[in-house]
Amino acid sequence: MTTSTQPVSSLPAYLSHELRNALCCIHQFGNILVDGLAGELTGEQREYVGIILENASKIRIVLNRALDGVLETPEKTTNKIEPVSKLET
Amino acid sequence: MDKTKILVVDDNPTIRKGLSVRLRANGYEVLFAEDAISATAALITERPDLVLLDLGLPAGDGFVVMERLHKNDSLASIPVIVLTGRELAGNRDRALQAGATAFFQKPVEDSALLFAIRKALDVSRGELRFDE
Repeated sequence: MTTSTQPVSSLPAYLSHELRNALCCIHQFGNILVDGLAGELTGEQREYVGIILENASKIRIVLNRALDGVLETPEKTTNKIEPVSKLET
Repeated sequence: MDKTKILVVDDNPTIRKGLSVRLRANGYEVLFAEDAISATAALITERPDLVLLDLGLPAGDGFVVMERLHKNDSLASIPVIVLTGRELAGNRDRALQAGATAFFQKPVEDSALLFAIRKALDVSRGELRFDE
């Protein structure tokens, strides 16, 4: 999917790039339809595109929290492996 | 009066198309480039009024395009707005330090992007200061 020649440094960075581009397309064309730039929609069509956009916005919020949280503050989200003592019997 | 020319640089053809529909509907003339080489060529030959620049590009990246632009005195004043799918960490500050006027992460609200475009154009034409 990635066409850039730049190496993708990590899985979160790869996911950020790919998911944001896909989400951007949904967002762009959904709004193009809602705004009537490709012709007027019926009320029902407008409602359905609105549902698509609303859910795309929810995904964007989750993406921002998940990916940028990981990429900006890795120390907060890295699972530390602590030595575990054997259970006392 | 000639239309304001915006160069859209993005390797994703669907995003280029979506941006062109939106920008043309707002009265802009839209030019395209899909990699760093064609972007540099378009800057020289077309001299756009503004560049909408992705960072992840083939044959270089958005930072390479900005570096080339700012090394050329006749192009250096062209405002650049970054629109990228890359993560904020590291990229936002680097882009602004490299001379970008604004940084947006995809997906962006159309109203926010259009406002930034208008403001960047006003500033570059001397009609507005950055702090206004």
